[in-house]
Amino acid sequence: MENEELRVTAELAEIGLSESELQSLGVAVSELVRYFATMMEADLEELEPTTHALMAHNRTRADEPSAEPEATAESLLENAPELEDRFIVIPNVL
Amino acid sequence: MSYWNRVLHDARRREAYTKFVRTQDAGLGAFLEFDPARRLDPPLAEHADPGDVSYAGSVSRARSRGAAAGGETPESALAGVPFAVKDNIAVAGFNLTCASRILEELQSPYTATAVRRMEAAGARVVGKTNLDEFGMGSSTDNSALGVTHNPYDHTRVAGGSSGGSAAAVAAGLVPVALGSDTGGSVRQPASFCGVYGLKPTYGAVSRYGLVAFASSLDVVGVCARELSPLQAVFNVIRGLDERDHTSQEPVSGPSAKVSVVGVLTGLQGLDPAVRAAYERTVEYLQGLGYALREVELSTLKYVVPAYYTIATAEASANLARYNGVRYGLRPERAENPDELVRIARDEGLGPEVKLRILLGTYVLRSGFQDQYYLRAQRIRTAIRNELARAFDNVQAILTPTVPVLPFAHGEGELTAFQQKLADIFTATASLAGIPALSVPCESTTGGLPVGMQLLAPAFAEERLFAVAGRLAEAAGERGLVARPENYPPLPDWAAAKGYELDWS
Repeated sequence: MENEELRVTAELAEIGLSESELQSLGVAVSELVRYFATMMEADLEELEPTTHALMAHNRTRADEPSAEPEATAESLLENAPELEDRFIVIPNVL
Repeated sequence: MSYWNRVLHDARRREAYTKFVRTQDAGLGAFLEFDPARRLDPPLAEHADPGDVSYAGSVSRARSRGAAAGGETPESALAGVPFAVKDNIAVAGFNLTCASRILEELQSPYTATAVRRMEAAGARVVGKTNLDEFGMGSSTDNSALGVTHNPYDHTRVAGGSSGGSAAAVAAGLVPVALGSDTGGSVRQPASFCGVYGLKPTYGAVSRYGLVAFASSLDVVGVCARELSPLQAVFNVIRGLDERDHTSQEPVSGPSAKVSVVGVLTGLQGLDPAVRAAYERTVEYLQGLGYALREVELSTLKYVVPAYYTIATAEASANLARYNGVRYGLRPERAENPDELVRIARDEGLGPEVKLRILLGTYVLRSGFQDQYYLRAQRIRTAIRNELARAFDNVQAILTPTVPVLPFAHGEGELTAFQQKLADIFTATASLAGIPALSVPCESTTGGLPVGMQLLAPAFAEERLFAVAGRLAEAAGERGLVARPENYPPLPDWAAAKGYELDWS
């Protein structure tokens, strides 16, 4: 894979790559993409894609809060890197 | 289970058990966190949830299943029993690191359904085990937080990604452990560590509380040294959970009886020791009275590329959530939110995880989808069809679990690419969604364990247990694979250290 292709892919994936990572990951990604190309030989005429192995149908549950919610808002906020009162702080969007 | 339901019973035994695990694990590295006291008495709120059908339902179902079988009920078999949980499965009070820098400080705010069901049956979480970061790998060497060795040979890997769970069980630190299996992550380390490893049917066990890697493939699985506790755990954790819409009650139909076992023809690329073990196991099955029938899987050569296309595509979407904003590693300084996300992901994710995100992003890019992702999904259909045809004539299929023996740490013996190729047999079951069990079958002359994999149609886990049970019975007291040296059972260790305790 061309370095430029990898750069575009990394940008889409929101991953900042250093020059050395661009080298090492570039080799590994190319090796696997070449390997994926072996799928081209398979004769797949008239086969539908399988997205889920065994899902019969969609199932939904009632849109109601659980009687005993396990994760409270407080326990979730405790994991935030930076808080101001109950707001999560991020750098200015300017 | 013998002594296991006594180890948390009182302060003296807990002290001996805690010392035992800390001492034995110091050179092994199976656990990322170990604290048997932490969930000894889970807060009542976690248990008193009358609206939670998953919890109450599992207990009553477990009870009726146990009664129907006429034996010990699963929950009494698990009462007081310690178990370990792979650190990508949520347990409140413990971290949920996924062995990643980006989640190193994350405290789990809730508990996975499988864990809740285990605890409802009386078992107790004692710790969290090491894994390849986010479940991505075959060695546990991709953990950012610690190294796990194979208990049979510390220069070799325990396998992965549930390497910590398999090593903890193999070393006798816990009788059972939960892991997750996307393409073989419970079965492969179980094979490398000489223990049983079950990947249930996709949807048989709730994924609620399992950190998502590839959602159409992920299942919660079980490692155990013996077959009966493994079955007890599976009976307790399986079943419908309204918190996971892909979970299902077992489909009735497939009988548990196995008379014809399929054996693979044209196997290539096996380590000679694995090939010999496969041939011996086939003979063994014949000796036990099973009829054998050759099965040819022409799609086998497409399994690994199809698996990695699907798994990386789904992973690239699932892992997009780790951005350092609401939780997880955040850089000290960033000029703007975009930069914050990029730096958090660059510093927080390891090379294998980045590789898979990049691959997954690439195969999903516009213009490439038909070529890769869609094609892989159609290959998945071909694999399912071929297995379904095979199961018209046989009730179970025997394959090696892994084509290679436990390999040395690093890439000296097996490169990262070759490690992926070794997923061929395990990923077959994952793509088809069918249950598979790795059975510890024998040891090589060098003392390394070799596992064989049994496959059955969806929801026919009982067939796997039936065949594995016959193999174990035939092996008798000696067992199929000897315990690792230097890892004595807890009662022997405690006696040698001067603890005067009755474990019976």
